[in-house]
Amino acid sequence: MASHFCYGCLLRLRQMPRVYSMLPGPLVTAPFHTTPPRPANPMARKSRSLEGPPKYRESKSARMRKRKPVERSRPPAVGERKALRKRIVLSNTNALEVPGMQDLSEETMLDSRLRGSVVGLPLPMLNQLLAVQAFKPTQGWSIFRRPGTVLRRETLEMGRLVNRIGEEKGKVFKKIITGVRGSGKSVYLLQAMAMGFLKNWIVVTVPEPQDLVIAHTAYGTLPGSNPVQYVQNAATAALLSRTAIANKEVLSGLHISQNHEGLKSLLQPNMTLEDLARLGVQTPSIAWPVFQALWAELAATEAAGNADIGKPFKPRPPMLVTVDGLSHWMTNSRYRSAEYEPIHAHDLVFVNHFLSLLQPTTSKPTLPNGGLLLYATSASNNPTIYSFDIALKQIIASQNGIDPSSPDFPRLDPYAKIDERVLNLFNNHARSTETGEFEVRSLGGLTTDEARGLLEHFACSGLLREKVTEELVGEKWSLAGGGIIGEMERIARRLRAIV
Amino acid sequence: MTDVYLTFSSFYSCGWNYHFQVTANSVSNQLQERVGLTMPPGLRVFPAAAATLRLPPFTAVYGQNAICSFLRGNSHSTVSLNAIPCCFDATSSLSCRTPQRRMNSSSSPRPEEEQPKGPNEDQLPHVSIKAAQTGRIVGGKCDGNASGSPELEQGTPVDEILRRDKDALKYAPKVMQEQMLGLKGSRSYSTSATLRRQGLSGSASTQDDPSIAIVANMIAQVSREVVERPPGLKFDMPTTRLPKTENMRRRYDPLVEQFTKLLMRHGKLSVAQKNMAFILDHLRTTPPPHLHPTRRLLSAPPAPQLPLNPVLYLTLIVDSVAPLLKIRQQKGIAGGGAALQIPLPLALRQRRRTAIKWILDSAAKRRDSKLAQRVANELVSVAEGKSGVWDRREQVHKIGVAGRSNLKSVTVGGR
Repeated sequence: MASHFCYGCLLRLRQMPRVYSMLPGPLVTAPFHTTPPRPANPMARKSRSLEGPPKYRESKSARMRKRKPVERSRPPAVGERKALRKRIVLSNTNALEVPGMQDLSEETMLDSRLRGSVVGLPLPMLNQLLAVQAFKPTQGWSIFRRPGTVLRRETLEMGRLVNRIGEEKGKVFKKIITGVRGSGKSVYLLQAMAMGFLKNWIVVTVPEPQDLVIAHTAYGTLPGSNPVQYVQNAATAALLSRTAIANKEVLSGLHISQNHEGLKSLLQPNMTLEDLARLGVQTPSIAWPVFQALWAELAATEAAGNADIGKPFKPRPPMLVTVDGLSHWMTNSRYRSAEYEPIHAHDLVFVNHFLSLLQPTTSKPTLPNGGLLLYATSASNNPTIYSFDIALKQIIASQNGIDPSSPDFPRLDPYAKIDERVLNLFNNHARSTETGEFEVRSLGGLTTDEARGLLEHFACSGLLREKVTEELVGEKWSLAGGGIIGEMERIARRLRAIV
Repeated sequence: MTDVYLTFSSFYSCGWNYHFQVTANSVSNQLQERVGLTMPPGLRVFPAAAATLRLPPFTAVYGQNAICSFLRGNSHSTVSLNAIPCCFDATSSLSCRTPQRRMNSSSSPRPEEEQPKGPNEDQLPHVSIKAAQTGRIVGGKCDGNASGSPELEQGTPVDEILRRDKDALKYAPKVMQEQMLGLKGSRSYSTSATLRRQGLSGSASTQDDPSIAIVANMIAQVSREVVERPPGLKFDMPTTRLPKTENMRRRYDPLVEQFTKLLMRHGKLSVAQKNMAFILDHLRTTPPPHLHPTRRLLSAPPAPQLPLNPVLYLTLIVDSVAPLLKIRQQKGIAGGGAALQIPLPLALRQRRRTAIKWILDSAAKRRDSKLAQRVANELVSVAEGKSGVWDRREQVHKIGVAGRSNLKSVTVGGR
């Protein structure tokens, strides 16, 4: 076969396709093979074996594949968890209506025949009680058809006391309520509030004293105070709001009768006290002066001579002041001064105002229109403050007739760290031997009769599925540490399995 | 040792009547061959056969027959708790001397079972081969009509022959005569295992040994003290035992405890208990469930009454979605790498555990912020028949029905 091109001039050389030179390897066809040669895929990845030249900048260890995080749904909205935690439910439609259950009224709160029975809180009053935050989420209101409380001995005593304050003008009783955990201190305050609302008193409450000292609300110095005091406007506005909503009926019937220098421009002559309180709610920056004005109005016994008043002066009703969890106010707060020193809780004007009500002042009565001060301690959320504890012990000792000079009188531990301001607050009470207006009241367990009434209430509501016998009452009463009502409630709501 | 009938009735045989009978002339040989049991002489085959296992009265288990009826293809959802009187009777499922006793059959009282008997004391009365041979030698025709001739073809028990043939009774062996007269007591010859056992434990042979006498004395003294009434009691101690839950360690309802433990994460039991309290309170306070027309709770009280007994409510929810069985993937039987799906029955606790696991799984997909809230909402939706747990249960049961035929390949004696 003749060649394709001329060897002499290589003329036709370019006419040939240049396939051979472009092939990647030598294309030597094996003479005995019929398989067509196939070039390797130039795009194929090289094998990743450990063979070959050393690989730098690469880890040689086995790769652990990371587990993909599980797809989580969105986190709950801001405040949703807290709202769930603080939610207060007052009714369980599944529970049975207790037949023959009486309401708390001005008659039943004095009726000693009802002792040990559970009386319901009047339904129209529930909004007022909710407004003053009388219910706590830890209490077992949510399993009953409607809220009710046991008329225990202390409650009936308080009913008589409230009645007496209403009859004797200007009578004031001050009580510090103590007791073990679950002994019913907060519910005791609640019963007092209910009685106050029944009697058309003014009810002022501080449901969470701890909130004022843990640096969760804004604070600022009180202008013109020396030594420096601090004002908490947001907290004061909340207090005014509680008071205005809960006591709307009473406050809207009372009018301004005094001169309020600081608020002159904002006040009208025939303004009701409710409007006055709302003023502080709407503009928290003046909440403290508004609260002072409101307090002065409520403490007034007659109209000020030089005040211009649109309406004639109406006598003010007695007041009920409750504070639930007093210990938090007996130590340094979490706030700091400008020098970054801790601020004592007594330097907060809000706290100081309510603590000063405890002081026996002979010159000016604490509540000129009479009333009841109930300051409860807490046993579940309670800072240990030696000065406060020993002060209470001394008061109890003097209440029991122990002379301060006798060896039985509780002495201060000389090595303990003493807070003088706390001791001074209670000093006068501890040293005074006469009891009466001021008292430290300790709540204990229910008696067996009262415990029986409580258990019967559970059984009638369909929650306790056992027959309430003497034996059962005795058993539960003992298990509850001698009728501690909180424990009784926990035991009664827990279903006992008998298998 | 002549003939022994063994009936092996278990879960499988209950459904398909695979009554596994071993008719053995020599028990030791055959048993070793086919069942794998060895039987030393003088020992009873199944000494616990007479004892029964008692379960608590409220058995949410359907029991063996419920599972069987389900596997037979019956509708499972209509099985109610009250309709099933029997509980698992573990020991009686393997019973000697009552051939082919059905689990479902009503048990009539059998007084002769009261007394423990030896293995060969209660054979079936039968016609001996020797008698047949004798008959043949004598020349009589073996047709059963001739008096005194054994009936070999029909296999009539000797009792019946003796009952209608007074002559035969007269010449019958003494043992048989006694048996016919209903006399009970010790035999004149000592083939009885009971007798031998009594001889072993009897005091006659041991009176020589003084140490044994001392021990016997001590035992007698102790037992007398136990029998004596404690001081201060006018009457005997009450015989009723304390409820199980009166023990501090098991003071909660069994289901509640199981649920709590399954709810527990990172070993934090008290947190789990708090969550459980929340769940029970939620069940107590939410509106009563609108029950699903087909996915009903097991024999429940009317729905409005459920929230007042949250523990019962919870129990019903869990038991209603608890599967009757689980599916085991058995490899290596089907061949070709395929797995056989074998349905296996579950016990009460296992069933509940599966149901609780399912409930917790589907609760994890909810969007409520709190764990206890998620679980509580899921429980309510189970009660209302809306939860996916029901589908899961139905699916398992479907596979179980489909896999019934696979049971043959794993059952002993199956084809």
